[in-house]
Amino acid sequence: MALKEIKCSSCGHVNPAGTQLCQSCGKLINEDYDKKKIKDVMRYDGSAVRSKVRSQTLYDKIWNFFTSIRNGVIIIALISIAAAIGTIFPQEYFIPVGADPEQHYQEHYGTLGYLYYQLGLHNLYSSWWFLILNGLLALSIIAASIDRGVPLFKTLYKQHVKKHDSFFKRQRLYSIQETTIEDDKVSSIVSKLKKMRYKVRTDGENYMFEKGRFSRWGPYINHSGLILILFGSMLRFFPGLYIDEIIYVSEGETVAIPTTENEFYIENNRFIVENYDQEEHDVFSDALMNAVVTQNFQTDVSIYRNLNQNVVGSRPDLEKVDDYSIQVNHPYRFDGYEIFQSSFDSSQLRSMTFFLEDADGEQVGDPFVVDLRTPDETYNITDDIVIDMRAYSPDFLEIADNGTLVSQTPVPRNPAFVFEVNEQGEDPERSFIRIMGSTPITDNNEYNIRFLEAEDQVASVLTLKKDLTMPFFAVGFVIFLFGLFIGSYINHRRIWIKNDTAFKLAAHTNKNYFGLKKELNKVLESEDIEQVEDKFVIEQTKKDK
Amino acid sequence: MDTQLVSLSGTLLYTAFVLLIIAIIPIAMSMKTEKKRAWNIGFTMVIVSFILMLGYIVFRWIGQGHAPVSNMYEFIVVFAIMIIGGLIITYFYFKTRTLALFTIPIVLLLIAYGSMFTREASPLIPALQSNWLFIHVFTVTFAYGILSMSAVAGLIYLLKVIEPKEKSKRAFALESLMAGIVVVISFIIMTVVMTGIVGYQDDYYYVDRQGNEQVAEYNLPALIVFRDAIPVEHVGENNYEPTEHMMTGVELPPVINSQSLNTVIWSFIVGLIVYGIVRLSIRQRIITLIKPLTRKVNLELMDEIGYRSVIIGFPLFALGGIFFAAIWAQIAWSRFWGWDPKETFAFITFMFYTIFLHLRLNRGYEGEKSAWLAILGFLLILFNLIAINLLVAGLHSYA
Repeated sequence: MALKEIKCSSCGHVNPAGTQLCQSCGKLINEDYDKKKIKDVMRYDGSAVRSKVRSQTLYDKIWNFFTSIRNGVIIIALISIAAAIGTIFPQEYFIPVGADPEQHYQEHYGTLGYLYYQLGLHNLYSSWWFLILNGLLALSIIAASIDRGVPLFKTLYKQHVKKHDSFFKRQRLYSIQETTIEDDKVSSIVSKLKKMRYKVRTDGENYMFEKGRFSRWGPYINHSGLILILFGSMLRFFPGLYIDEIIYVSEGETVAIPTTENEFYIENNRFIVENYDQEEHDVFSDALMNAVVTQNFQTDVSIYRNLNQNVVGSRPDLEKVDDYSIQVNHPYRFDGYEIFQSSFDSSQLRSMTFFLEDADGEQVGDPFVVDLRTPDETYNITDDIVIDMRAYSPDFLEIADNGTLVSQTPVPRNPAFVFEVNEQGEDPERSFIRIMGSTPITDNNEYNIRFLEAEDQVASVLTLKKDLTMPFFAVGFVIFLFGLFIGSYINHRRIWIKNDTAFKLAAHTNKNYFGLKKELNKVLESEDIEQVEDKFVIEQTKKDK
Repeated sequence: MDTQLVSLSGTLLYTAFVLLIIAIIPIAMSMKTEKKRAWNIGFTMVIVSFILMLGYIVFRWIGQGHAPVSNMYEFIVVFAIMIIGGLIITYFYFKTRTLALFTIPIVLLLIAYGSMFTREASPLIPALQSNWLFIHVFTVTFAYGILSMSAVAGLIYLLKVIEPKEKSKRAFALESLMAGIVVVISFIIMTVVMTGIVGYQDDYYYVDRQGNEQVAEYNLPALIVFRDAIPVEHVGENNYEPTEHMMTGVELPPVINSQSLNTVIWSFIVGLIVYGIVRLSIRQRIITLIKPLTRKVNLELMDEIGYRSVIIGFPLFALGGIFFAAIWAQIAWSRFWGWDPKETFAFITFMFYTIFLHLRLNRGYEGEKSAWLAILGFLLILFNLIAINLLVAGLHSYA
């Protein structure tokens, strides 16, 4: 079907197919439209909206699917419902690290939890179907905005002042008198509306007042912002744009910062946990009576740059760049990276101290300290007694068949040792030492190795972030908010006046007729002209009765 | 000194609360007359009450050293204050009295409910130590206060439009809403009476989801308990001894909080009994009792208020509830968005009002449909503000 342009029978303006109101004089072109609600026809100023005109080809049908507000609302509703389902049980990233998800959901949430896991709802927000829903939303936003925004833009930028008589009656607010009014009164109205910051255009006896047109772009601006945000979220999938790493660094230790290719190093000078002191914070005394509340988590760090970064296999040559105290809410920023205080780990041991005891239970020589990260091989106790470390397991699991000690992890949490006491002229004595016990390996041992004390190793767990996608989100959301605020807080108001054969006045706004009516009636009242009534309200009241 | 300031702030809030109750009388009287006097008295009391509430915020803020928005009590109270703020703003623009009459009881209920939680000044955990705390929470609650006006306007609209006698879904739904309010009132009165006046307490020992040993303190007779719960008695310090308490034999797995559910069940039982008594004694739906208050209401004005408050409140919510929230989440938790349950429900609230606006602007959802949506939005806000913190353990559970 060929779609014909329509020539207005009144003013002769040629309008694109599908136009409802003549784009020049505002006379109704599509007679069918009158049967529908009066409010619809002015929505896009009666311009031809593509999706309302064409529906023949497959392309039209797809276009119409995405431009449909109804479908858009359904997509939004589906996304919201899906998001809500994701909060029924914790998502996978909230369950304890290292727990087997299948087991965890079954154990903690029963059959429902098992089902939740099997359906993949434990990773809902990154599931393919949730992403597809968001993709559909993006398409819907783009299509609907172009479909309506383009014709609206064209119409609002070439408005004609002179309107057909029927146009006046089509507005929600209008006042039509029997006769004309004096020119004085008209010019008085003009100056009053000017003071209200209306822009005035005239064409003979025709006047048009307009303000706040900018607010009509609000929806299109905020939709652009949303598109930018959705685009930014897709960028997360490109490697390098988003870095999320853990830095595990014990007190006194210096480690390379991941992903910087050994350019940067971080040293943990001190890790601090402070709790609120009841004495000091009198006002919280009730709350602190039964509970310990943490006041501060802090890691004092030094940041170094490695001057030998490009020399392969060389030892790092560190130059201090900065000192900083990383706290919660006070991350350290450098070179596009941010380092956050995430948590801490005090489950590790730094060193253990032992002493040697003879058969009578007397201590022999000085106690000796075993550094659990880099333990020494031998410890001199007296001039003729030496203790050798024969085996060491930082996180003891079991003794293997071949007699070696098996370690669960390389982290010193549950150390175990085989020590050999060598006294000059005697047979070596071996024993197996753990935190809670000591087992002799050789027979008839004369000496005992006793545990004296252990020193904890506190490690700070820091989060390293670099997010190059963030500008898309930030800029996108600022654009979104800007569009939302101008679209919501500013009203586009237009008033038409015709004073040729009789005085006619009509007014239109995209929203808040209440405010427009108030504003307009104030002017009309002062000029002693009949005030405008909201036609929609009158219709509603009739319907109610 | 600081402690005195905090207790002074409590007194101010209490005074404001009492003043609001009294204000209902002149405001109700002003419904029947054109004369301004009763209304002026009532509305002045509302304004004074609002100023006292601001005093509560200021003194508690100075006293405890951080904005009073860090636990459930403070949250709910600030939300209630913001609703009064929203009411005052709306009145100055639209000059509608009925809105006040319906808003005040809701605010009173909220403050009373908030007072069920611990009211002591509590120190801030490290994650909350930021100026974003008050920027974020005050913007969100202010938006909530404005958005609530749309729900109140919607409620008035529906009461006016719906005939109490008609046999329809909408009349049933509206009546159910009223029954729900009766249940909430019953809950509050029951809790105050049983904890404060009767001092009822039964302790039950149980093992929670994480396998930790816990003791649940029931302030109402236990209809349901946690699985394998043992009735115990507190014998000083952290020691408990087995004893005899009421047991119905109904036990639930620890994934459900039996103690909260027990309170909910009691609230429904007592609430529905109260509702039944009222219903039987007036032999009509209770909306019949309230409907006359909306006699003089202008429907279009209510619809306009319903729409305008969403259009004003929604951008503020997007600003405070999503944008400021994201900035702070980035600083404190190293990620601006993480699908934490509270974040997710902020997102859902955002999406809900998006739907509201699109349906209204493009699909003609005005009047009654719009009124129902506004009420739904308010229930969603309440759910996000209160229920999420209590039901789901996330980063936002401070209570």
